[in-house]
Amino acid sequence: MTIYDACESSPQIRLSRRMRIALFFLVEGVAALVIGLAALFLSFDPAWSAEQPHHAVLRPSEARSGSLLLKTDDGYADATRLGIDVDLTVSGPTVRARVTQIFRNPTKDWMEATYVYPLPSGGAVDTLKMVVGDRIVVGDIKEKQQARAIYEQARQNGQKAALTEQERPNIFTNSVANIGPGETVLVQIEYQEPVQQSGNEFSLRVPMVVGPRYNPKPVVQSVDLRADGSGWGAASTDPVPDRDRITPEVLDPAEHAPINPTNITVRLNAGFPLGEVKSHHHQVKIESPNNATRIIKLTEGPVPADRDFELTWKPAAEKAPSVGLFREHVGNSDYLLAFVTPPAVEQAQQKPLPREVIFVIDNSGSMGGTSIIQAKASLLYALGRLQPADRFNVIRFDDTMDVLFPTPVAASSANVGTASSFVGALQARGGTEMVPAMRAALSDSNREDPNYVRQVVFLTDGAIGNEQQLFETISALRGRSRVFMVGIGSAPNTYLMTRAAELGRGTFTHIGSVEQVDERMRGLFAKLENPAVTGLSAKFSEANADLTPSVLPDVYRDEPLLLAARLDKLAGSVEIKGRIGDRPWSVTLPLANAAEGKGLSKVWARRKIADAEVARTTRQATPEDADKTILALALEHQLVTRLTSLVAVDKTPSRPDGEPLKLAELPINLPAGWDFAKVFGERPRQPVQPAERRADTGDGKVQVAALKRPVPVATPSPGTVQLPKTATDAELKMIAGVILLTVSLLLFMFTRHQTMPN
Amino acid sequence: MPRLLPVLALALLGLILFGQGAYIHAKALLAQVLLERAFRKTIATGHPVKPWRWADTWPVAKIEVKRLHASAIVLAGSSGQALAFGPGHVEQTVDAGERGVAVYSAHRDTHFRFLKEVAIGDEIDVTKSDGRTFRYRADGSTIVRFDQSGIDPLTDRHELVLSTCWPFDALTSGPERYLLHATLIEPDSGRPESGS
Repeated sequence: MTIYDACESSPQIRLSRRMRIALFFLVEGVAALVIGLAALFLSFDPAWSAEQPHHAVLRPSEARSGSLLLKTDDGYADATRLGIDVDLTVSGPTVRARVTQIFRNPTKDWMEATYVYPLPSGGAVDTLKMVVGDRIVVGDIKEKQQARAIYEQARQNGQKAALTEQERPNIFTNSVANIGPGETVLVQIEYQEPVQQSGNEFSLRVPMVVGPRYNPKPVVQSVDLRADGSGWGAASTDPVPDRDRITPEVLDPAEHAPINPTNITVRLNAGFPLGEVKSHHHQVKIESPNNATRIIKLTEGPVPADRDFELTWKPAAEKAPSVGLFREHVGNSDYLLAFVTPPAVEQAQQKPLPREVIFVIDNSGSMGGTSIIQAKASLLYALGRLQPADRFNVIRFDDTMDVLFPTPVAASSANVGTASSFVGALQARGGTEMVPAMRAALSDSNREDPNYVRQVVFLTDGAIGNEQQLFETISALRGRSRVFMVGIGSAPNTYLMTRAAELGRGTFTHIGSVEQVDERMRGLFAKLENPAVTGLSAKFSEANADLTPSVLPDVYRDEPLLLAARLDKLAGSVEIKGRIGDRPWSVTLPLANAAEGKGLSKVWARRKIADAEVARTTRQATPEDADKTILALALEHQLVTRLTSLVAVDKTPSRPDGEPLKLAELPINLPAGWDFAKVFGERPRQPVQPAERRADTGDGKVQVAALKRPVPVATPSPGTVQLPKTATDAELKMIAGVILLTVSLLLFMFTRHQTMPN
Repeated sequence: MPRLLPVLALALLGLILFGQGAYIHAKALLAQVLLERAFRKTIATGHPVKPWRWADTWPVAKIEVKRLHASAIVLAGSSGQALAFGPGHVEQTVDAGERGVAVYSAHRDTHFRFLKEVAIGDEIDVTKSDGRTFRYRADGSTIVRFDQSGIDPLTDRHELVLSTCWPFDALTSGPERYLLHATLIEPDSGRPESGS
């Protein structure tokens, strides 16, 4: 202080002027800081969401597929290109899809290409073909490890090889090894899936971006069952033999950047006279050879693979056929696919039971942004739909939980108003403790009162890792409650949703945008408000049947029941019984009248495998038993699963051509509608002779090294990883804090210093 | 002393700002202690253990650079919430030791502060939640934009990428990321890799 006192010599008047200036700047500075700080506080919560990883890549459903990239030592270069041809044939209840991927190597190096692609989750991949030069190599199903080993071996030996692996039930990978400079390899996979049905509308979806959305609804149907059985057999046979006669598409590569150009052709044989046929996201032209058949092609030729292809069709008749029955004979067994839509309208006059609905809303941090807006809008809609006779309650949870009313209350306007303002005030923050909320929702305080239908409507994005715990809670506590999952946001955890809805005997509704809230919630309420068909069972009069699903699920309004069975003989009938509301209902289908179907055994096996996977996760079967079942089914029916892969190796050595080939030679069978020259602007097979393959790359050592180290891997661009934000403002804040502290200290001394003499 | 009020207010603001910054570091440090504990339990029990009751994430691995005496417990997911507590295992990338690229990401000013010290040739040990340790050797670094990482998750090699914001000593966050690439040299246990 003495030092300061010592230099204190200025007159009072100068001091105060100086002080006025200082004060002016100080006030200005403080004001600016206050505003800045306020902004900082305000932005603090959004800052969390801003720090969240960009969903575009991390959430596969938002990822776009793009061009294949070639990885080299110096980085990435645009290299191997890929074209995709999708050829779909709908035969009544099933879709046979043939997906051809064209791997082309325009570089001077040997390449290995890997492509990740989505398929419908119910799709059963059973065929892999690799077209090399003039040969077609057909893949074999092997256990996953074994297939990998075979592929690796071929890769090391310089042989061409292709491998199809399942990454997730709906995501597959194709790898192709040893694509020579300038060479083209075609890889073709085929899969079988059932057609989807909802109400009067049938649909199929080809996911084209990695991260498809599951549509968990069961499925399918297409033939009228008349009393006299004359309607059987309306499903036409597979027209694949016609394929070569289809004229090629006129493509216009000039208008489309060659980024995974995808071409789609659908041959639709619905088995009944068709009404409206509509493609939802692509422009198509539709030919009508006859009233039950359509041929659908893209209007403008190949499109970039960046959105799903969705096709829906309706019967010309007012109502969709309500029953369909198809059979297929494979090996020693007969396979049966039956789909029955229980009558709905007739029952609607019946007075539905009043309901007790427990709404659960997830307001955890991961729901921030538009998700919470969608969730709140959905819940407010639902509250508005309650009838005065209904009872309800609302539970919100993050890492804490609030139950609005101690016990469910009548849906009086006062109670609904209370609930609406409670919901309106919710903010997204905190962790996600789903299990206690589910437990609270399932605790049934009015168990004695059978006059209420108890429903739990659970709105969440499912962003949790302890799914297993949630599943266990539902299966242990569900009682008479039914759990309807509503998935919120663009990328909800569909695995969790579908499985939880399945265990809770309810349905899964996905709301992807605010615009969808109304439509999707209306659909959900049609299911909530109309009696479900319960207690379903199927009995075969003569045949021994291996039925899937083994326990038939309840069926909600406008949904068909889908049954697949393996029979020892095709005789007698199957009787399906159940209750619609409180009225018993049954239907008997004579098996002998079933129409010939295609690929039903695959559909059956795929469902059996899915059942085994469910049993594995719910621990109804030990992992070993479940795996054994899956493996046996997969090997018998040639399906790619979690445990099995398809592998094709071209045994022909990469040597001068002209030698006899060890493998069966088949004529090249390029997919119809697919024209290499038009996709790539040049001919498919470059005039690179096999003889030059190895010679070009020098001695064998270089070759092996080139395959090993410089990573001859081409990758799809959805593959490139997007990195999260990894900086905090900690240091910025600390530095700003220190500066402020220093300034205030100086000011403090300064003021002190000038006030002291007084 | 009314004329001292603005000065005090300024000092208070400074303290708050400093506190906020320090809080981020304190949280990062404290969380690692809790995570370390949870991770040990995870290895012991074989089940994911949440580090604290309301956590949205759980430890999945431990990264260690012995030469620098640096280590960090990695969390599942790389959301902003998770990264405040520890490095995150970037979604859609493989686990350590598997074929492909395992990508871990953390803040440059907390858990991955040591990244700038890591030299080519350094060994990086990654212990997974099943207790197995995989040793990687750093073999390169790149600076990329966050959305053009060039990381090929489907590579046939066994790679590791540690990612953080670039430049290291910047005060604000930018689009650039520093990537440290490493390749597997030895799995700790003798468990054979698939396909070999």
